[in-house]
Amino acid sequence: MATTATEYFPGWAPAVTGIVPSVGDYQGADAGETFVRSLYAEHGRSLLAYATRLTGDRAAAEDVVQETLVRAWKHAADLNKGAGSVRGWLLTVARNIVTDRARARAARPAEVADVVDRPPVEGDHSDAVVNTMVVLGALDQVSPEHREVLVELYYRGRSVAEAAQELGVPPGTVKSRTYYALRALRAVMAGSEAEVAR
Amino acid sequence: MSEHSQLGAYALGALDADEAREVEAHLADCAECRAELVELEELKEFLGEVPPEAFLDGPPEGGDLLLQRTVREVREAAAAPSAVATPVAPVAKKRGRWLLVAAAVVVVAGALGGGVLIGRQTVEQADGPVPGSVQVSATDAASGATMATTVEPRENWTWIRVRITGLKPGAECEMYVTDKAGKVWTAGSWVVTEQAAREGSRFGGGVLISPDQVKSVEIKTVQGAHVVTTTI
Repeated sequence: MATTATEYFPGWAPAVTGIVPSVGDYQGADAGETFVRSLYAEHGRSLLAYATRLTGDRAAAEDVVQETLVRAWKHAADLNKGAGSVRGWLLTVARNIVTDRARARAARPAEVADVVDRPPVEGDHSDAVVNTMVVLGALDQVSPEHREVLVELYYRGRSVAEAAQELGVPPGTVKSRTYYALRALRAVMAGSEAEVAR
Repeated sequence: MSEHSQLGAYALGALDADEAREVEAHLADCAECRAELVELEELKEFLGEVPPEAFLDGPPEGGDLLLQRTVREVREAAAAPSAVATPVAPVAKKRGRWLLVAAAVVVVAGALGGGVLIGRQTVEQADGPVPGSVQVSATDAASGATMATTVEPRENWTWIRVRITGLKPGAECEMYVTDKAGKVWTAGSWVVTEQAAREGSRFGGGVLISPDQVKSVEIKTVQGAHVVTTTI
């Protein structure tokens, strides 16, 4: 019923560079099922929580997650673990689906009038189509110690004292790790573009 | 140097007020650190491209049905001739038939013109409820809310539209549908905007039961307080 992202943007799928796995790995009903189950087991909670925040509605969010996973299966060749972030890809696709559905509704005034109370789609990540993947991919490449201080301080909004308690290290260590984590992230992100200049 | 290593936590806004003031005092005197801060804040912007939910792991709670539906869709798509994962070229005769079917579909679509089907659906909705719909309304004496409910038949399921007046702005509402067997179905949740509180709040949700099985539609707040019920 709803127009899909691919109909709007035929070339929308973020390209993932790297080794392209054999599509044959995921061929057939059983392999497809296994693939989708493994994505669900690893990323389902993240995806559903994100889609629920964007849609403000658990049922709608489940539909979005379902479509995201089916699309991941169809694009299995693009989802190459190790190059770019699989989760970044899934989150980006989920957001695109939410945006497309909102747009499809806007194109049909009768249905928009039906549901005026729908929470608006967040606009904060609207230009981030590739960047979500790039940044998550970069966070995958910094050390676990660096990654965890950034997650605690930035994404979970914790103070240095709270993060120190959570991670079981002195506050001074949290501070210096944060500084070096940001520098490491900068090095990873600059890596592909600026490596030549060094 | 100690100020230097505090810069990261400062850029992320994680220092307490005293520490932040110390860093700011140092920044006033140190051009090098000011330049570094600009870069760190740029990195903070990059971090903002990733939603916080990206750091949750594992399967969702209560998502078994979601997984089952997804697996079923993948199985069906894999079995369908148009599925992406059908690499084997059909034998020549069979392929010829599929091409004919595909061509016929294109011709029909071309004859109708894009969007005709969607257009018709929109017109039906704009003209009023679909044929076979049932409309009822009720007022709840305790909450003061009045709800007009439309039960619209769909193919093997039911779309339920409500228009409610007398709600408070910011109220988080959930729609529950009870079928004739006594089973309760959730049909979505929403937040009442200021405008909706003034002009009436509209909401729609689907349930996977046939329309003649709908016994009542109840609105509750997310906190569990009863708002209003219509009995079909």
